[in-house]
Amino acid sequence: MAEENNKNENNAGTPSENAGRRNFLKYGALTAGLTLVGGSLLKVFADNKEQGEKMKVLSSDGKVYEATCNQLQEFRPAPVSNAEARKGIPNKKFVMVFDLSKCDGCKKCTEACQKMHYTESDREWIKVFTMHDAKAEAPYYLPKPCFHCDNPTCTKVCPVNATFKREDGIVLVDNERCIGCRMCMAACPYSTRFFNWSHPNSDQTAAIGNLPYSPEQSVPRRMGTVEKCDFCPDMLRQGKMPACVTGCPMDVIYFGDQNEDAVTNASGVTVKLSQFLEQNAAYRQLEELGTEPRVYYLPPKNRKYPAPDLKNIEKEKKEKKHIDMDMSSMQM
Amino acid sequence: MNLENEKIDIKNEIEILREDCLRPTRTFSRNTQIWIGSLLVIIGWGLYCYIHQLRQGLGVTAMRNYVSWGLYISTFVFFIGISHSGTLVSAILRITKQEWRRPITRSAELLTFVSLCFGGIQPIIDLGRPDRIFNLVLFGRLQSPLIWDIISICTYFCGSTVFLFLPMIPDMALCRDKLVVCDTRYKKFKKWLYTFMAIGWKGTKSQWHRLEKTMTIMTIIIIPVAVSVHTVVSYIFAMTLRPGWDSTVFGPYFVVGALYSGSACVILGMAAFRKLYHLEKYITPRHFDLIGRVVLALTLIYAYMNLNEYWIPAYKMATAEGHLLNDLFSGSYSTAFWTCQFGTVLLPILIMSFPKGRKITPLVITCIIIAAGAWVKRYLIVVPTLLHPFMPIQEVPGTWSTYFPNYVEFSVTAACLAGIFLVITLFSKLFPMMAVWEVEEGIQIEHDKQAVIELREQREVAEAKQMKEPKAKLITPITNTNN
Amino acid sequence: MKPKSTLDCRYFLKRLTLLITIIGLFSVIVAAQDQSQSQGKTEATITMSYFKNADMRRTAVALVKAKVNGKFAPVKNVKVNFYLENDKTQKLLEFVKTDNKGHATILLQNDLPLDDSLYFTIIAKIEADPLYEDAQEQIHYTDANIILSLNPHDTTRLVTAKVTELGKDGKELPVNGAEVKFYVQRLFGIMPASEDYAVSTDEKGEASFTFPKIIPGDTAGSYTVVARMEDNAQFGNVETKAPTSWGTVLAVEKDPFPRALWEPYAPLPLVMTISILFGGVWFVYFYLFFQIWKIKKDPIETAKS
Repeated sequence: MAEENNKNENNAGTPSENAGRRNFLKYGALTAGLTLVGGSLLKVFADNKEQGEKMKVLSSDGKVYEATCNQLQEFRPAPVSNAEARKGIPNKKFVMVFDLSKCDGCKKCTEACQKMHYTESDREWIKVFTMHDAKAEAPYYLPKPCFHCDNPTCTKVCPVNATFKREDGIVLVDNERCIGCRMCMAACPYSTRFFNWSHPNSDQTAAIGNLPYSPEQSVPRRMGTVEKCDFCPDMLRQGKMPACVTGCPMDVIYFGDQNEDAVTNASGVTVKLSQFLEQNAAYRQLEELGTEPRVYYLPPKNRKYPAPDLKNIEKEKKEKKHIDMDMSSMQM
Repeated sequence: MNLENEKIDIKNEIEILREDCLRPTRTFSRNTQIWIGSLLVIIGWGLYCYIHQLRQGLGVTAMRNYVSWGLYISTFVFFIGISHSGTLVSAILRITKQEWRRPITRSAELLTFVSLCFGGIQPIIDLGRPDRIFNLVLFGRLQSPLIWDIISICTYFCGSTVFLFLPMIPDMALCRDKLVVCDTRYKKFKKWLYTFMAIGWKGTKSQWHRLEKTMTIMTIIIIPVAVSVHTVVSYIFAMTLRPGWDSTVFGPYFVVGALYSGSACVILGMAAFRKLYHLEKYITPRHFDLIGRVVLALTLIYAYMNLNEYWIPAYKMATAEGHLLNDLFSGSYSTAFWTCQFGTVLLPILIMSFPKGRKITPLVITCIIIAAGAWVKRYLIVVPTLLHPFMPIQEVPGTWSTYFPNYVEFSVTAACLAGIFLVITLFSKLFPMMAVWEVEEGIQIEHDKQAVIELREQREVAEAKQMKEPKAKLITPITNTNN
Repeated sequence: MKPKSTLDCRYFLKRLTLLITIIGLFSVIVAAQDQSQSQGKTEATITMSYFKNADMRRTAVALVKAKVNGKFAPVKNVKVNFYLENDKTQKLLEFVKTDNKGHATILLQNDLPLDDSLYFTIIAKIEADPLYEDAQEQIHYTDANIILSLNPHDTTRLVTAKVTELGKDGKELPVNGAEVKFYVQRLFGIMPASEDYAVSTDEKGEASFTFPKIIPGDTAGSYTVVARMEDNAQFGNVETKAPTSWGTVLAVEKDPFPRALWEPYAPLPLVMTISILFGGVWFVYFYLFFQIWKIKKDPIETAKS
């Protein structure tokens, strides 16, 4: 349990922070000043306490250990060898399903992923888009990880086999072999890949710089190499689901083994994959490209959240000249 | 007609030619020194910027996650395109036995060699981890278009080096023999170099025979290799699914674009050497007129390719491709795009269609526009596509969704361009910039032709005489001149 | 009238100033109060559940939710104290912090002290937490077992689950009317075996269920069946597992890494095309190199002859 605690994302914000934010807006500088002082004092206090406090940890073999919080943050099991990481988990075909009708665009999946992989905030291995395909159609949220395609364009073009397709369907990047040509980034039609343009920041190097590297963990990252969503294979080896799946509070994301014909969401609801896809008219992104993604989407029918606000996207488009797939903007 | 006089004439002419060709290799003027010095400064600054990029990562460039390829890759495509000049002018004109090729083959071949050197290093400059370059050998995958590029460019590089070297062998022997007479600087080094490069050329019959045979084979084999190079360069784009790149016409489109920009650069080289090394006697306005026609023809084919490349998708306006085309036709890239299309396609066609437009000055100006425009066009092929992915660009840092090369990229690219100029300059200071023996051969052929014409005239005169004196009918014509 | 109205006006203005002052003061007080509240505590609730797993491990889980932005949501890092109540005395077992899903889990010992009616009581409390108000919740369950009887190689795929509880005399007594749900163990969870996977036990304490014909198994065709009582008022969650070989056999991929464009090794036609094309060119090149070498040797040879 405690392992999971560290691995996963901290979903819930502490209420004191939220309350502080509210007051700031409500009652002006004096009160806000007090809150800030109070809050920071509280924070210092909490930090001290947390650092020193010992926690009981239940290991997988049922033994109880005691450890401080800092130690737990750094816990990672020893990675598998490179050869093993390239082979994959035998007799598995991992698959992910997004139920768009449940997604409210909270981006908790992104946060969970970023925490898990120590990524900086601009690198969203799983990114939540606000989509609006046509004017008459309803807008919806679209979380997009790497699709781990069965006909992966990125892997085809890699000149040195640094990105590879595994037996279990996962496409990984070996950043100890990558030469940084960025051909895979150009080839990926889903813009899934990110490049380490500069040295990883110093905080990160201090935290994870000395960990043994395996393509399965994607960290420590290295300058001049490509990275992307990896379906958390190190978690899968422990029998746990990827960070984004467990981090989703809306139970949007289902994950499982296609060979078992079952996918499970964060609440532990397991459904029969084939039936689930069939009954909900599942589809894949840009099917016409023939990339054969391993990620399915259930259409955003009967949504359980208010429709996305398109104003932000429109504004962003105007200011930064972003272009999306909105056909209504086309004139010819 | 005096055959003895004729021979002396040719001998004199050839002597003058040799002198004209070798003269630049014996001088090293102040201007040249300043020119080389300034090139070295640019290269030095570019190197500094490159080292900065090596240490801090590609983040010092303007490239970011959406535009992950920028000026370097555009330059790569452009330089490799220029390298097609040598093949076209030299090989194709050789195969078709165009006499006017003789004075310009050397500069064309040199341009191929140099632009290939500097084009080939562009992707290495663009690499995130150049220290792992040997992974390409250790783990190379034949499925990757980049590996095809490497194989193809290496093959073309070897081929064009040989292609440059082969016609130089007799000239090297000439340089070696002439060097002894003249007093020059770096005599020892030059002597060693010329002797080494002349590979024991004595001008024997068997050597000439072998050289001609080798040249013929090389001329034939270099053409498909050159075509393969630019085809696979286009494949690094065309093998992806990206709108704007996902095009079946890309291979021939790139090849034509390469030939067109390459031959324009050959004209620039011709004009420069003509002016600087006083070769007006050999590279005449007629040469410019003829190669101008070649460039015109290529521009027309290029225009036709552009039509295919843009009109077909523009008619259909498929979603993602439509956005890209909108951006090119009327969006943020429209100014560059239309300037490029009108300036480098329509305008050159208009100018070069008229004989006056193929005069040296307008032709040179047109070719400068074509060369610069071809470079911009490569940029317009690479960058806008990357800014129009299938998935929308949302909520990313502002630097990701726009791109314009920054000082690092410009400096490094400028250094590469300076490198091209430097190598050409140094080459021209060491070796004759015209294939002396080829031009000699041309003079010989010209004289032979002259002789034939004279013979023919004589015969006609004789025939006319015979007409007047029917009795003399028994006398057969002097020779059967069917040359 | 006129002077009076001015007076009125003045009076009104005075009143207004007073009112504003009062409102101002009040708002400061309210702000201070709100401030104290935010520095004080947030309302929290605990929901508890009890699990008896297939490996006989018993756990009690407390789910802590607190009011964040007006809604109750799970909170992490809250210290929960677990107590065991016996004979009206409470003994502190352990404290556990909630994980990011708001769960605090403790492992219970197997020989929990039971009361007269053979029930045990576990209490979870939030006590003197700096952020949250005190809260508590308790569970009160008795022990039950599910015993599965099945033939792993049977083609009828019939499973019978017998639910028993411990009688006062130490004998196992069958439980009538308990709902047992049948699942298939999958990689990350348990999947309902079919549409109607819940069966109630008869007076013998038995519930029978026939597993569907097609359920993907592993490479040996085996999978694990799971029988569960869920949120039973008497027993909490009780679970048993048993292996079977009723599943469809998963064919092992003979060649998981075939020659393909996206695999390390290229398809043979591609290899051959590239080798022939460039091999041919290089063959010619070497012939040319040889010729160049011959050019060098030619004068020497002619001199010899």
